[in-house]
Amino acid sequence: MRIVVLLKPVPDTTGQERLGPDLRVDRAAVPAVINPNDEYALEAALRLMEARGGDAAITLLTMGPPAAPETMRKGLAMGAHRGLLVTDPALGGACSLSTARVLAAALGSLEFDLVLAGVDTSDGRGGVVAAAIASLCGLPYLSYAGQVELTDTAVRVRRLSPRGYDLLEAPLPAMVVVTQTVGEPRYPSLKGIMAARSKEIVTRSLADLGLAADGVGGAAATTRVLESRPPASRAATRVVRGPAPEAAEAVVAFLAERRVI
Amino acid sequence: MFPLYADVPAYPLVFPLFYGAVAFFGLAMARHLRVLALAKPSSPFGAIPLRVGGLAVYVFGQAKLLKDLRAGLMHAAIFWGFVLLTIGTADIVTGGLIQAVVSWPAGGLLWAAVTALQNAVAVLVLAAIAYAFWRRLVTRPARLSLSRDALLILALIAGVVASELLAMAFEAARAGARPGAFVADGLAMGLRGLDRGFLDGAFAVCWWAHIVLVAAFLCYLPFSKHLHIATSLPNVYLRKLAPRGELPAMDLEREDATFGVRTIADLGWKDLLDAFTCTECGRCQEACPANATGKPLNPKAMVMGMRHMAVEAEAGLPLIPNSPLVRETYGLDDRLSPERLARPIVGDAISYEAVWDCVTCGACVEACPVLIEHVDKIVGLRRNLVLEDSRFPSELTGAFRSMEQAGNPWGLPKTARTDWTRGLPFDVPTVAELATQGRLDELDVLYWVGCAAAFDERNKKVARAVATCLHAAGLRFAILGQEESCTGDPARRMGNDYVYQILATGNIETLSRYGMERRTIVTACPHCFNAIGNEYPQLGGRFEIVHHAAFLRRLLADGRLRLAPERPAGDGPAANAAVTLHDSCYLARYNDVVAEPREVLGRVPGLELREMEKTGRQTFCCGAGGGRMWMEETRGTRINAERSRQALATGAGAVVTECPYCMTMLRDGLAAAEGGAAVASLDLAEVLAGRLREVPADRELPVL
Repeated sequence: MRIVVLLKPVPDTTGQERLGPDLRVDRAAVPAVINPNDEYALEAALRLMEARGGDAAITLLTMGPPAAPETMRKGLAMGAHRGLLVTDPALGGACSLSTARVLAAALGSLEFDLVLAGVDTSDGRGGVVAAAIASLCGLPYLSYAGQVELTDTAVRVRRLSPRGYDLLEAPLPAMVVVTQTVGEPRYPSLKGIMAARSKEIVTRSLADLGLAADGVGGAAATTRVLESRPPASRAATRVVRGPAPEAAEAVVAFLAERRVI
Repeated sequence: MFPLYADVPAYPLVFPLFYGAVAFFGLAMARHLRVLALAKPSSPFGAIPLRVGGLAVYVFGQAKLLKDLRAGLMHAAIFWGFVLLTIGTADIVTGGLIQAVVSWPAGGLLWAAVTALQNAVAVLVLAAIAYAFWRRLVTRPARLSLSRDALLILALIAGVVASELLAMAFEAARAGARPGAFVADGLAMGLRGLDRGFLDGAFAVCWWAHIVLVAAFLCYLPFSKHLHIATSLPNVYLRKLAPRGELPAMDLEREDATFGVRTIADLGWKDLLDAFTCTECGRCQEACPANATGKPLNPKAMVMGMRHMAVEAEAGLPLIPNSPLVRETYGLDDRLSPERLARPIVGDAISYEAVWDCVTCGACVEACPVLIEHVDKIVGLRRNLVLEDSRFPSELTGAFRSMEQAGNPWGLPKTARTDWTRGLPFDVPTVAELATQGRLDELDVLYWVGCAAAFDERNKKVARAVATCLHAAGLRFAILGQEESCTGDPARRMGNDYVYQILATGNIETLSRYGMERRTIVTACPHCFNAIGNEYPQLGGRFEIVHHAAFLRRLLADGRLRLAPERPAGDGPAANAAVTLHDSCYLARYNDVVAEPREVLGRVPGLELREMEKTGRQTFCCGAGGGRMWMEETRGTRINAERSRQALATGAGAVVTECPYCMTMLRDGLAAAEGGAAVASLDLAEVLAGRLREVPADRELPVL
């Protein structure tokens, strides 16, 4: 079983993300981490592998800056086997559609049975790349998966819905977008971190994938950021202290007063 | 042939009996040593004078035992009695050699004195053993587990002592007391006039009972919990001399190594010697805050469990190892194979839950009379669970990730690190700013703020109070600002030495870049204090760090910091109130900073200090050490509730803390306690900051 997990390095999510003067995410200012939702996709892949007794090879697929391998190593430390990074100076400022085209081309160069992706990324929040890739590659697309099961020829997911879940099944190869209900991402062990140092990360440029720089990069972006403003600062918070029963009463009264409950 | 024992029937039989028992004892002990030989190396050598001094204090002075006075006196009586009575036994098994030598000067007076002393201690030992039986069977303190082993040992000691005394009494009744044997002589008074044949027989029976019991004791000892008679001397001599707060160093680059402690073979041999020295006295259990609040952790049970695992590993090994030739010829394999040691400790000697209950407060280590190191072992177990298996309470994932990614366990952006300085009436520069202005040389002191004081709302006020005191003392101080990160202490104590080493090496690099080896660092966090002062040297960082309790004491003593006279009446409810001081484990117990905060409080006019029952080095943890700050406390009752109860019992109007974790825990504990809402929790710096005397702008400050 060959599983590909889409993984994006994003700026540290502790609230320090900033846009640069060019209104693009300032990736140099803040250390990069794995996009949190992608960690769930990787966790889902690792659990599928474990359910098969280890019979699966997991490849991380990333489009990102040249420093991306540093972040990808963390995914390899969690247990993925290898990485493929598409990096090219022309890709700065790429839009969602460009990203999907590049990743679809990269997928085309790989052999795979299943692609897993997170719901969206914490820096872009577009949430369309996985769907666009599935469409470009002609893959069955199973979204909002709360649970994923795998046979040798098919994938079955529980797609979360407001009423419960829908049971979807598709033949392999397929694209599955997972939610955070697949299970908490594991914390890498030191052995995993050490093993990750010697795992292979292959780097490809646009030319390697046979793509023209003017067709997919920042130059061909279909969306543009016009303006950005910091959000209004949060209103003052009220902290309730005291013994739990009394504190709970105070909280209930506060909420009831505002007709929240 | 042996004139001194001419009246003992069949006296020469003593030699095969006693030396046979000694040989058996030696072989059984050597079998224990074979387990130690398979363990990891330890190197508790060097510093010989210090180690010999330790023997004097902890073994011959019984220093730790006497902390529990009644039980301590009981033990001291038995210990010293044992030592003195051994002289008599040694005389018996050497054919009277000792008596012959000691009798030589002063016409036998010295030997008479020895006899008199032995008579006296024999009574003392018997009384102590009677008390010991009383404790074990009637009053039964919770820390003692009722065991047949303990009662048997007590009976054996009583038998050894009583039989010797009785033999002496029958001897006195028969042939007149020997010089100095005043107790025996007294006992003999009631025996004189009895039939000579009976006296002869009774003497022989008692005399032989003594030496048979001594031999039995030697044969039983290696299998008894009472082994400490043989092991405590070496264990105390080989004790940990590194700062108590310095966990064992860890090499994370060794790819073939087992990280941390999984099996008893991963323990150092000194750890196993610890296990063989435990006497189940339960002082650790009694001192343990997790145990006291109903959690599964029991330090005594863990150490004894490790010992049981070691003993199980030797099961079936012959007492006398076969020679390699015999082994080869007959295909015997009686070596202690490493596979026998391969069972994991977690789940056997200690449960998984209990490993995480530990607050690393060190109360167990402080209490142990034979200087066993419990905390290092528990952290060793955590290291293995975290680094090899990624097995830890799920709440810790967030703390680990936050420390690794954001540089603080709160996971808040480092840009917020200096928020606490906003609105202060003076400037708090960063070291980087001073460096760019070329003013780094003007720096008197670096204030290491720590994550708690930078990010936690309540503790931000403490940071402001510390800065206010430093400013009022006329010191030029600076902070690292965004360049500071968590010292790694919580990660290290939760077993994640990987994250600890990333953070620590980063901090050492930053501090060294600004030449802080040559300056004083002050911090209000005992955990930062311990990590930087005691643990960073392992990674090459040598800095002079002072805790604010000691630093403020110095500022007050030097007159740099002046306090206003008593507050006018009606100036707030807490004015001139009585306070109690909660000692931080990592400050008082780990680093012996006990007198300094008290001196600071003593210098505050009108302030009365009311001590809690558990105070100073005997302090009771707030519940947040060892990374417990970041874990849910689901088992038993809450440790901070127990400590708050102890604080409230003093009737003080405020609890003074000296640690940000203690502050959080006690504030919450007091708020939840009955009658605790009116009791404030204040940091030491806040007590002072509220009492500072206005400094005239033109005042010349003395040079520090």
